[in-house]
Amino acid sequence: MSAALRRLGRLRPTGGAVVAVVIFLALYAIYAASEASAASVFGLTNLFNNTVVLAIASAGLTLVVLAGEFDLSPIGVIAIANVVMATTSVGTLGWFGALILVLLIGAAVGLLNGWLVASLRLQSLAVTIGTMIACEGVALLLLPAPGGAVNQAIVDALTGDVLEVVPVALAVIALVLLVWLVLARTRFGIAIYAVGTDAMAARLSGLSAERTKLLAFVLAGVAYAFAGFMLSCQTGSGDPRASDTLLLYMYASVAIGGTSLMGGRGGVFGTLFGAGILSVMQKMLFALGAASFYTSIFSGLIMLVAIFIGNASELLARVRRQRVA
Amino acid sequence: MSSTPPVLEVRGISKHYGATVALRDVSFVLNAGEVCGLLGENGAGKSTLVKTLSGVEVPDSGALFLAGSEYRPRDRNDARRQGVATAFQELSLVSTLSVAVNLFLPDPAVNRAGLVAMRRLEQQAARILAAHGVSEIDSAALVGELTLGQRQRLEIVRAMFRRPRLLLLDEPTAALSDRDWLFDLVGNRLAEGAAILYISHKLDEIRRLCRRSVILRNGQKVLDRPVAEMSDDEIFRSMAGRSVVERFVAAPSAVRTDAQPALSASRLSGDGVEDISFTLMAGEILGVAGLEGQGQARLFRSLVGLYPLRSGRIEVAGCGRMVRSPRAARAAGVVLVPEERKTEGIFKDLTTIANVSLPAIDHASKLHFLNRRRERALVGEVIGDVDLPEHFLPLSIAALSGGNQQKAVLGRALMARARCLLLFDPTRGVDVGAKQSIYRMMRAFVGGGGAILFYSTELDELVHLCDRCLVLYGNRIVGELQGPALSQEQVLSLAAGHGLERAAVSGR
Repeated sequence: MSAALRRLGRLRPTGGAVVAVVIFLALYAIYAASEASAASVFGLTNLFNNTVVLAIASAGLTLVVLAGEFDLSPIGVIAIANVVMATTSVGTLGWFGALILVLLIGAAVGLLNGWLVASLRLQSLAVTIGTMIACEGVALLLLPAPGGAVNQAIVDALTGDVLEVVPVALAVIALVLLVWLVLARTRFGIAIYAVGTDAMAARLSGLSAERTKLLAFVLAGVAYAFAGFMLSCQTGSGDPRASDTLLLYMYASVAIGGTSLMGGRGGVFGTLFGAGILSVMQKMLFALGAASFYTSIFSGLIMLVAIFIGNASELLARVRRQRVA
Repeated sequence: MSSTPPVLEVRGISKHYGATVALRDVSFVLNAGEVCGLLGENGAGKSTLVKTLSGVEVPDSGALFLAGSEYRPRDRNDARRQGVATAFQELSLVSTLSVAVNLFLPDPAVNRAGLVAMRRLEQQAARILAAHGVSEIDSAALVGELTLGQRQRLEIVRAMFRRPRLLLLDEPTAALSDRDWLFDLVGNRLAEGAAILYISHKLDEIRRLCRRSVILRNGQKVLDRPVAEMSDDEIFRSMAGRSVVERFVAAPSAVRTDAQPALSASRLSGDGVEDISFTLMAGEILGVAGLEGQGQARLFRSLVGLYPLRSGRIEVAGCGRMVRSPRAARAAGVVLVPEERKTEGIFKDLTTIANVSLPAIDHASKLHFLNRRRERALVGEVIGDVDLPEHFLPLSIAALSGGNQQKAVLGRALMARARCLLLFDPTRGVDVGAKQSIYRMMRAFVGGGGAILFYSTELDELVHLCDRCLVLYGNRIVGELQGPALSQEQVLSLAAGHGLERAAVSGR
């Protein structure tokens, strides 16, 4: 009994994630109730294809946010990854060679961000605005106008389903979750939380804030590049501006998923559901016949609700405090 | 000349931060099985010395030797590998991680897959905590849920359990009320042959534990002698560089029994507050004593409306309404000086003058623009009362020593025209000189008709400064001491819960 309670106690910092799961299931239930195909393999494949890019990119962002920093560069990295896929995956490199190249580019941008932020102690918000703009410029240089083509083999393979049962996109998201669950239990995973909570205490405890943040930025860069790879499979072509609107939704996913933007609290599990909420909501509103411009109104409201509930216990205590006494 | 080299030899260490000299040519030795006290006012260089020995800071010049070989730690981990462990004053624990993980940072044990085995870690941690006489801390709990005292215990256990050959304890009892627990552990480590550098402001601890003590002043070693050879006065004089004639300002009681009570609480109940009633008269210093976690923190916060109460009444003189928020409390003239100075007391990014003038800036501004000269004049009225030197005012408050920060916090309370001060351990981590200033300020405040509710972890303060003293145990008031009955022994016995059984028996 007490052991179970203690185990529960350790889950408490991810309390916001529980809220995200509940909201996701509620929205999905409404969607499924009003759209017959929602629960079919086709409907699910469609839903997860719409989620996977946002989910992977937000998962990467979560690492940086947990470590107490900000990152605005993901849309730049995604743009580069997309145009590189559209220009090289059909030719000599092949899709696998192109994927490796793209992941290396992501890691390189992450390394640059990490070096500027962790080693030179520059402000992450400012630094990553710079790298974002530069990356978008590079993407435009590589492919000035939408076009190019992505290797058809991966376009077919990664947007379909496995044996007509499991959507491939869902499998990819599950893989990301698995990687996170392993990562969170490593020393590096613990160091991310420690550094994001209190960099000074982490340092006095013998942890290196510099190395931890650097690695967080690099892994995040790889995640953004992988998100760009998945985006290319979705669209089948290159567009240097395809990722422009993604950034705020990524932060929304992170926040809805219960991760504190101050660092040190939350996790990728919640973020994945945060991304799921944002896309299932679009589906739900479409199924209910709401005009598309309602979507952003609802996105914003859902975000407020999720953050409100995530902090509800604290808010309630404060309200009660004012009433009693 | 003994053949074994000392555990630690510090040879001519200097350290500068910009223009400030933190350490200047400090040398001393520390032998196996020895506790050496390190005394000095805040800003004397104690913490810098600790950080240098711990591998956090690199000295500008000089050399360190550990058991005869040169010791040049690259970082914290390097220092730890060489057998140097530190319990830091500012507590180096991460609040969002569990007790077990914190205990084993930075390298908690991993299984073959490279994953941290939480359950095993928690079991190990529980064993280690139990072996160090700490049973009330759950190893799976988050550090953020622990009280300050529990966190300090954890910090100390973390430094000790790896059996270091050199142990640095930086103000280990700042938040600890059960000091015997620490003294026992120190004894054990010594018996095992460790060398301990013990940094404290509390002279009784130094006298009890250390045969020898090093005293620093302005970054320089001024004294290195057996403690028994020095009188209290001599030690204080060496630390402060001036004579401390009397440790406590003896003054007749200023209690005004004719006026109405400044603050009266009747039957307060809530989480961690059980049926508390007391009356604080104008001109009175009412002490509150208790071991850590006996409800004192909740009580103080509840009195200014920071925690909700289930029932009870708080009446403030000249204010008909109940106090439900710190703002309302302030308006009624009740000001809390909180426990955690760094996070709750000061605004660390503001200048000292802005920290002091905050409650009165409305009086110093016209059309919402602040008149700097007027602000300075207003602040000038109070800084004398708290002995805050004027040249500190334009500096960032973060650059000040703990003692001067606390003076600024008290100055702010005076700026708010408080009639009733709730001081929660105001002399914690404060140097001797600042303590004297705080005592004087308290005396002057009640002399002017103010009232003070005063919690302190230092019993001698309670005994010497207070008119009366309430003793808390298990969130309740278990006794009230006054006059000759107000002695350290009496307070301790009540605080340990001994009075309780007696009261229960006589109540039958």
